[in-house]
Amino acid sequence: MKKRTLLAVVVSIFSVTVALGSVALAASAPSDPFTKVSGELYAKAKQEGALTVYSVWDVEHIVAILGAFSKRYPGIKTNYWQGRNPEIITRVMTEFQAGRDSVDAILSDNAPPVIRAAGAIMAYETVQKASLILHDPTMPVVSLQIQALVYNTKKLKPADLPKSWEDVANPKYKGNVALDDPMRAGPLSTQLAALKGLWKDDARWTRFVKGLKALGVPVHKSTSAMMRLVIAGEYALAMPALLHDVVNEMGKGTPVNLVKTASPIVFARYAGIYAKAAHPNAAKLLAEWLISTEGQATLDSIGREASRKGFQSKTSIGHAYPAGTQPIPVHDKLFLEDPKKWLDTNVKPLWEG
Amino acid sequence: MIVLFRSFTTGRLGTIVAFNVQNYIRVFTDPEILPMINNSILYAAGSAALGTGVGAMLAWIVARTNTPGRVLVELMPLYPILMPPIMKNIAWILLLAPKSGILNGFLRENFGIQQLVFNAFTLPAMVWVFGLACVPLGYLFLLPVFLSFDPSLEESAYISGSKPMRTMLRITFPLAFPAFLSAFVLNFLRGLRSFETPVLQGSPGGINVFVAKVYDSMSVEYNPGIATAYSTVLIILSVLALLFYVRATRFSERYATITGKGYRVKVIDIGKWKYATFLAVFAYFLVGIAIPFVVLIVVSLIPYYDYETFMMFPANIDLSNYHRVLNHPSFVSGLYNSLFLSVTIALVTVLAGIIMAFTIYRTKVYGSKVFEFIGTMPLAFPPLVLSLGLVIAVIGTPLYNTLWALGLGLFVAYFPYALRNASGAIVNIHKELDEAAWVHGARWRHVFFQVTLPLLKPTVTGALFYIFIEAIRNIDVAVLLVAPGNEYGPVTLFEYFRVGQWAEAAAGGVIYLIILILAVSIAKFVFKIKFSL
Repeated sequence: MKKRTLLAVVVSIFSVTVALGSVALAASAPSDPFTKVSGELYAKAKQEGALTVYSVWDVEHIVAILGAFSKRYPGIKTNYWQGRNPEIITRVMTEFQAGRDSVDAILSDNAPPVIRAAGAIMAYETVQKASLILHDPTMPVVSLQIQALVYNTKKLKPADLPKSWEDVANPKYKGNVALDDPMRAGPLSTQLAALKGLWKDDARWTRFVKGLKALGVPVHKSTSAMMRLVIAGEYALAMPALLHDVVNEMGKGTPVNLVKTASPIVFARYAGIYAKAAHPNAAKLLAEWLISTEGQATLDSIGREASRKGFQSKTSIGHAYPAGTQPIPVHDKLFLEDPKKWLDTNVKPLWEG
Repeated sequence: MIVLFRSFTTGRLGTIVAFNVQNYIRVFTDPEILPMINNSILYAAGSAALGTGVGAMLAWIVARTNTPGRVLVELMPLYPILMPPIMKNIAWILLLAPKSGILNGFLRENFGIQQLVFNAFTLPAMVWVFGLACVPLGYLFLLPVFLSFDPSLEESAYISGSKPMRTMLRITFPLAFPAFLSAFVLNFLRGLRSFETPVLQGSPGGINVFVAKVYDSMSVEYNPGIATAYSTVLIILSVLALLFYVRATRFSERYATITGKGYRVKVIDIGKWKYATFLAVFAYFLVGIAIPFVVLIVVSLIPYYDYETFMMFPANIDLSNYHRVLNHPSFVSGLYNSLFLSVTIALVTVLAGIIMAFTIYRTKVYGSKVFEFIGTMPLAFPPLVLSLGLVIAVIGTPLYNTLWALGLGLFVAYFPYALRNASGAIVNIHKELDEAAWVHGARWRHVFFQVTLPLLKPTVTGALFYIFIEAIRNIDVAVLLVAPGNEYGPVTLFEYFRVGQWAEAAAGGVIYLIILILAVSIAKFVFKIKFSL
């Protein structure tokens, strides 16, 4: 009798659990915002039949992303053009002013905000905003630019490492720092905007910028070239490097590593929808798919940083840095919309004064 | 004209523009402008002098001396032309970098010299590397001139007791002056607007040149108006250089070396100096291609570059860079497009250049001298600005986003080279040949096709070759004009340079270079095309 009662209880618990689980699953399917919106967008995108992307990313990466997208959503012919940010902006704005509809989506970091400020971006808020580390209500953040402080393991011993970004301004690192040009809209100026917002202490921030200037080191206009020079041993520190580059190099056995006590600076990589896009639904579908777990896995497979909360990858902050590391985002509105004006107002008087 | 118009407009991208001179006020009140102009002129003039001087010397050795090893001596100056300048930059940075460079490392490890003897990030090193990139143009411009000399001028000097070297300095080189000046002006203008060397070598050394301002205006401000206003300073410098050139060659008949008299180019016996000239050609071959090429091959075959890893070669061979490049999504289609366009553009620009030079120097068409300025103007524009002007020009036409637009862009970019090359050569053909034809009732087309063009044959092949090589590796002009779905080999391949993957870039460059060397060798040995040799 006891056995029968026990069996009945177990069966009942199992049945209730399965029933609840089914209800939960049934409830989650239609409420999953990506599943719902992607179905609607795909139907319209198939009617449009094509998608053209301009991107700053490596061609191999663009091809891998568009290949996976086409496999997932057949019937949409994809095309791409790759260039640097100034070239992307110049091309998009020239086309915009001439009324051309050549592009649908712009995958980049610094270019989309500038294009948006000029009125050539169609505002689109992703339905998956709750899942994102950084959110912008007008442009989906599909990936992140994560800046890391990097050193050459043959040139610096762990005991001699700077503990933070601020420490790099210590005169003892003079001659050992590959410094990005703070007067260009590049990673270092992004970092300065992020730290200014984080510290909310103008005196400290001014001291930091003046300290960097006092190092008297030449500045570089290419972080990629800086990274090469650090790997080669010409410099001991890269101020800054990009996390996906560092992870990629460490995977090859290159003598570089992260200064893990310097919190990473994070900046959005957007999928901006062109204001005069001929295939806007296909562009929105691409943006939504890139943010989905499947899209983020595709980004991870090519070594790009994920923008989704809790998504574990080799280029995620959780994987590369100790637990509890807090990234430093850029919130400065002026910097995001007009980096030149921000630099002229904040950095130029200190750097060139 | 479109670009110049933009320089008089203000307003950021997407906003309403106003027509005024604000951009110019900002440019000419910039406190950095004078030091940067100074650096720019030193860099451009130094590179042009080195490149054109070495090119002229090589051309003279090949064309006029009895230097031993004839086949080798003819080939050695030719192959460095195939190496893209940016590959030379990368290789020389790896060789000359102060702390991590191969040469300093070698001196330190083997001779205990701790002092940093070489430094890639100095003005002399910039001049050295860009000067090497200027040699081919000087060589190709001067070679046809030395090959088509009237020997009676030199013979007169010998009869008067002049030694070969003195004759060379007092007779031969002065007669080659117009072609030398053409090459020098072109190399000077290339130096003024060149970007890779100043960015890769100048910026790390704190040496800022003027063109960096133009690029900052585009990349930091995204402001074509201010960028084109800064470009105007380059245009003014270019116009000054051209005025100097026109003034120096205004009595061009003085320099004519091809006359109506029969002639045969004489090879000069330079005695023991012939071994020195062989060594000079060999030294150029070493620094022009052999050493940089070996460095790039090794870098493309090792996991990453630092001095220790470099010296471990070949124990650490790694083929992954080649695997990546050969699997690049658009390597084959891009290569095909670039081959097709380069050949076409070389043919079209050279023909157009000869016709324009003929019109300027051999006809009395009103205002023909103005064509010289107009035809050379594209050289004054930084490639990104020129590219922008071309995009604006074609965007409303069916040409936009086609290979035709890219072809047009390449034509505009390389036409000045064809024009200057043809001008230098036509100046060397004495007018008496044309006049003889005119006297016999020939029309201009008969004079052009039956007199001038055959005499220009050596120049034509040299210019064809040079423009083909330049066009097949063009990145800056092509980048805005290349269309989605229509890849252009160099743009996709040299993307590796942009993203800092120097090992993959080296692998791609090695593959490209091997293809070019094979193409040139097949053309030379199988189809007997002479490339001015």
